[in-house]
Amino acid sequence: MPGLFDEPFEEEPVFREDGAPVRARRRVVSVSEVTAGIRMAIESGFGELWIEGEISNCRVWNTGHVYFTLKDSAAQLKAVMFRSASRYLKFKIEDGIHVVARGRLSVYEPKGEYQLVCEHLEPHGRGALQLAFEQLKRKLQAEGLFAADRKRPIPSLPNKIGIVTSLDGAALRDILKVLSRRHPNAHIVVRPCKVQGDGAGDEIARALKALAKVPGVDVIIVGRGGGSIEDLWAFNEEPLARTIAACPVPVISAVGHEVDVTIADFVADLRAPTPSAAAEMVVTAKEEFAARIDRLQGRLTAAMRAGIQRRRNVVHLLTSRRGLAGWQVRVAMQGRHVSELSHALRRATTGLIARRLREHQHRAARLEAGDVRRRLAAMRGRLGAADSRLHVIAGRVHERAEARFTALAGRLETLSPLAVLARGYAVCWNQDRTAIIRQASAVTAGDRVRVTLHEGEIDCEVRSAHGSDNQGL
Amino acid sequence: MDPTIKDFESASAELEAIVKKMEEGDLTLEQALELYERGVQLSRFCHSKLEEAERRLEILNERGELRPAHAAMGLTPSDESGKSR
Repeated sequence: MPGLFDEPFEEEPVFREDGAPVRARRRVVSVSEVTAGIRMAIESGFGELWIEGEISNCRVWNTGHVYFTLKDSAAQLKAVMFRSASRYLKFKIEDGIHVVARGRLSVYEPKGEYQLVCEHLEPHGRGALQLAFEQLKRKLQAEGLFAADRKRPIPSLPNKIGIVTSLDGAALRDILKVLSRRHPNAHIVVRPCKVQGDGAGDEIARALKALAKVPGVDVIIVGRGGGSIEDLWAFNEEPLARTIAACPVPVISAVGHEVDVTIADFVADLRAPTPSAAAEMVVTAKEEFAARIDRLQGRLTAAMRAGIQRRRNVVHLLTSRRGLAGWQVRVAMQGRHVSELSHALRRATTGLIARRLREHQHRAARLEAGDVRRRLAAMRGRLGAADSRLHVIAGRVHERAEARFTALAGRLETLSPLAVLARGYAVCWNQDRTAIIRQASAVTAGDRVRVTLHEGEIDCEVRSAHGSDNQGL
Repeated sequence: MDPTIKDFESASAELEAIVKKMEEGDLTLEQALELYERGVQLSRFCHSKLEEAERRLEILNERGELRPAHAAMGLTPSDESGKSR
C-alpha cells in the first residue's frame, strides 16, 4: 500500500513526458486518514519508552482511568493510565510526584492529541512502597486517625487476649512464650491468618473483625515477625488501617522489629516494637494493676490506723487534762455518791415518816378525844405528800448523775476507736444507727436509741434526757 | 460477688477515691469505718479477679468456631508449659 506521502503535494508541478507542465491533479485526504497516518507514524516510530517527569493536572475518572500530564521545565506530555494498569500501583498518582513512566506513545484520534499510554509508573529516586506509605500516612493523619486522644488504654486485666497472626510464624511463638512465663493464667484466643503476599492485608482485617466479636476478648495483638518492606506490606494497606481504627477492642500492633514502622503502628492504640514486647505490655499492665491494688490496700489500712491513732491521742489528751484527769474515778465516785445519796434520802424519808408517825401516835395517844382522827388523816396526807416529793427529788438527782455518766461515756466513745468497746465501753446510736448520740439534748424521753457493746447491741428507750450541764464533771 | 462492684477497673477507681478521702482525714469515726469496710471489700474483689482467670489457649477458625489450641495447631508441649505451672 502506498504511503500517504508517496503522492505528490498539491503545489508540486507535474511535468508531461514532453516537458510541458500540466496542472497537478489534486489528491484530497480526510482528517481521519491523516490522523491515522500520524498515529501509525508515531506508534511505529517510538516503540516502548521510559520517560522521566513530574505529574501535574492529574485526574482520576469514574472508570478508574487516570489522566495526567508529564512535564519537565521545558515541555509537557499528555498521558493516560488505564485502570487495567493503574490498579496495580501501590501508591496513588498525584500532582507533584516525580516519576518514571513506562509506556507507548499514541494518538487519541477523536481529539487529535498525542499522548503517552502509561503501563507502569514508579516514583523517581525512591521505592513505590515508600511513596505509598508516605501518602497513606499523610492521608490518615489528616483524617485524625493517629490522634493521641483516639488511643484507648490497654485493659489492666484482659479477660481474653486476642492474637491475629500466622500460626507458623515466630511472632506467635514469641508472644506465647512471654505470656506463659509471666501471665500463667491468661486466656488467649488466636485467629490465624496469612500475614504476607497478595490479599494478606484484607485477610488480617477480616481476622481482626472476627476476633473482636468473640465475647470477652478485650485486647488484640496484631502482628508478625520481621521481614522486608514487601513482607510487611500488608500492615501498610489502607483497609487494614481503617479496620484497626474502627476495631471495638483496643489493638496493639506488633510488626517486625523495632526499626520497622507500619501504618498499622500509627493507627493502633499501642505500638509494640516487637511481638514479644506486645506480650510484655499486656503482662505489665496486669502487674501494674496488681501493684496498684496492693499499694491502695496499704494506704487504706494506714489511713484507718492513722485515724484511730489520732482519735486515741485526742482521748489521751482529754483524759490527761487537769479538769478531766481521773474522770473514770470521778464518774465512779459520782455514781457511788448518787446511790449513796438516794439510799440516804430513802432512809431519811423512811426515818422521817417513822418519826412523824411516832410523834403522831404520841400526840394521838395524848389527844385521844375530839377530832384527833380527822387531824391525823390530814397529817397523814401532808406526810404522804412530803414523802413522795422527797422520792421525786432523790430520783431526779440519781437520774441526772446517771445521764451525766452516760453522756460523758458516750462522748468519750465517739472519740475513741471501736477497739475501746472491748474494754467495756459502748456507743450510743440513734435508732436507725445513722449517727452517734453526742448530746443528751439530741434525744428526748421516749426516743429509742441503740447502744453498741463490744459484743452485740442493746435497744433502749430514753426515759429522760438532761444534756445541758454535762460539762460540769 | 458483691453486686455493687461492676468490674475491676471501676473497683480500683473507687478504691483509689476512698483511700484519698480517708487520707484527707476529716471524717467521723463511723464514716471512716464505713469507707474502710468498703475499701477492704473492693481490694478483695480486685485480688480475686487477678487470680481468677485460668490458662487457656484457643484458636478461632475461619468458620468462627473456637477450638482448643493444642488440637488445632501442632504446638509442642513447651509452648503450653504455662498449663503445668
